[in-house]
Amino acid sequence: MLNVADNSGARKLMCIRIIGASNQRYAQIGNVIVAVIKEAVPNMSLEKSEVIRAVVVRTRKELKREDGMIIKYDDNAAVIIDQKGNPKGSRIFGAITEELRKFRFTKILSLAPDVL
Amino acid sequence: MRLEKCWFCSSTIYPGHGIQFVRNDAKIFRFCRSKCHKNFKMKRNPRKVKWTKAYRRLHGKDMTQDSTFEFERKRNRPQRYDRINTEKVLQAIPKISKVKATRQKDHITKRLSVGRVNRRTEDRRELEQSISLVKAPSVLKEDATLTLPKQKVTVSYAQTENTPMEE
Repeated sequence: MLNVADNSGARKLMCIRIIGASNQRYAQIGNVIVAVIKEAVPNMSLEKSEVIRAVVVRTRKELKREDGMIIKYDDNAAVIIDQKGNPKGSRIFGAITEELRKFRFTKILSLAPDVL
Repeated sequence: MRLEKCWFCSSTIYPGHGIQFVRNDAKIFRFCRSKCHKNFKMKRNPRKVKWTKAYRRLHGKDMTQDSTFEFERKRNRPQRYDRINTEKVLQAIPKISKVKATRQKDHITKRLSVGRVNRRTEDRRELEQSISLVKAPSVLKEDATLTLPKQKVTVSYAQTENTPMEE
């Protein structure tokens, strides 16, 4: 169950599938996933048990960079996006890594309060 | 590239070493090795763990305030490259670190010298009190040569100049 790192209206997501990878078991930071909303804030556009796409932005599993830096977060979180890759919410919560730039999620990076 | 300090033990973290943990409030904890990381996960307070710099500084074991510390400061803005300045800094760094190291060493020596004096007085007192374990006091009284008294002899420097050094 992933936390939602934006203000789109959902609170918790359950990952169903990883987009673009046939047998990949675990999603990493930057992977787009298909998820179902398990918990949502009432009276917003997104409802519970809705199937949406999201991009993983924080994982408890370490992210390894080529320069040897290893980053670990305290939770697993995703940002809900539409088919094009634009975030559904208008604010992002928490720190985001530069890895998303490689995957062309520049809008998310610009909204992020802190970029590592 | 930036040399960070370990959150737990305060040693420098070189590139390629250690793990960074980002908490949900976006505070970053950097650790130099898994020892520090594991201690952090155990929720240990570095100020209470004896081998960390935080403990040593807090309890006065290591030098805390000195002018040599002011040469090294964290700057978040990158400085424009100035060749003369860079050359001067590169020449100054080994001198400053040498001064810092000697001062830190002196601080520790000074702290431990009190113990050395105490141990010496203790030993002297033990010698005076327990010499009877080595020799019976009556024997010491009879024969004065058994305890060699200290004699002060003045050395005239004119004599020592002519004597050759021993190989």
